[in-house]
Amino acid sequence: MKKKTAWISASVALLAFFGMVDAAYVALHSSRGFLLPCGLAGGCDQVLNSPYASFLGIPVAWFGLAFYLTTAACALFAFFGFEGALRLSFPLVSLALAFTSYLFYLQAFVIRAFCDYCLLSAFLVTLMFALHLWLRQGSSSASQSWHKP
Amino acid sequence: MNRSNDQKSKAVKSKQREPQPRSLAKPLSALAVLVLAAAGVAMFLVKRGGPESPPAAASASVDLGQKPVITPTGWSKGNLAAKTVLVEFGDFQCPSCAAARIKVDTALKKFEKDLKVVFKQYPMSNIHRNAMGAAQASEAAGKQLKFWEMYELLFARQNEWTNVPDALTFFLKYATELQLDVERFRQDMLNSEIQNKIFRDLLEGQVAQVRSVPTFFLNGKLMQGVKNDAEFEELIAQAIRTAQ
Repeated sequence: MKKKTAWISASVALLAFFGMVDAAYVALHSSRGFLLPCGLAGGCDQVLNSPYASFLGIPVAWFGLAFYLTTAACALFAFFGFEGALRLSFPLVSLALAFTSYLFYLQAFVIRAFCDYCLLSAFLVTLMFALHLWLRQGSSSASQSWHKP
Repeated sequence: MNRSNDQKSKAVKSKQREPQPRSLAKPLSALAVLVLAAAGVAMFLVKRGGPESPPAAASASVDLGQKPVITPTGWSKGNLAAKTVLVEFGDFQCPSCAAARIKVDTALKKFEKDLKVVFKQYPMSNIHRNAMGAAQASEAAGKQLKFWEMYELLFARQNEWTNVPDALTFFLKYATELQLDVERFRQDMLNSEIQNKIFRDLLEGQVAQVRSVPTFFLNGKLMQGVKNDAEFEELIAQAIRTAQ
């Protein structure tokens, strides 16, 4: 396996790990009925008590957890030789980035409060997306070089 | 000799190039380790920040120097001029809040002359899908002077509307039962004034570090670690004695 793919998949897996901790923390905390401590942004409760905090009746954090779990699985499979797995996770990460951008817009302009956990998640998703892009860029240039006469 | 060595090394290299059978065991076990570690860290953080620990995980809004002030205003019952005020932050979809209303009513009957009870909205919409709707329904009923009647119906029939997708149908049914002007009630539920009032209550609770519902404040002080109804009443009795 290429060193670059190994490096990228290990990084995505690590980011997914932090994402899982973040999402699981919010999901577990809110399912216990307690409000979250909110250090930097200070608006966690406002954001997580807003009508946008759940989708189809399920807290968004659970969707986040499912996303990070799937991405971690893809990254680990890629790390252990199933290189195509990261290509599978690319559409998922792109969708997550779009959804994260929407959530960021809601926090900035609709709820007018930011939540640390959501910001951390947005940061992780953006990094994951960048890593996926990097991988694709490398693979596309490699494939171009194959076709050179 | 050299040629045979070359052939040997080529054979070894070609063996190395042969695709190795990839096993699913490695990625699956790595994933299991990752998931368990993430779950462990999350559980640890939840426990550390949970109600068992002192409120060390205070929110930044409090650290900014804002003193939590519990205003003794809102939907009130008992002796409205009493010096002792019990403020409850509650959520209509929370089963403990439904149970707590009986405890509050018992205390109110006992200390009728010396106690004022105030209810503040604290709908935890992230875990209770219909809590915000119920809060709006109670406020809309309040606009027609039947807040406490709706409060009682919402708690008493919590099971009916808790997990339904169209809780509004039930709220309208209760409005009809309470002989409210149903059309006005429906419009008031979406009134921005009512929504702002609910958000003001929520904000007040957040500043005061309300972490769960129901949370009670007795004369502005958080009632913590109350073991049973007897202790709850005893604390109220003490506050009344101090106030006199």
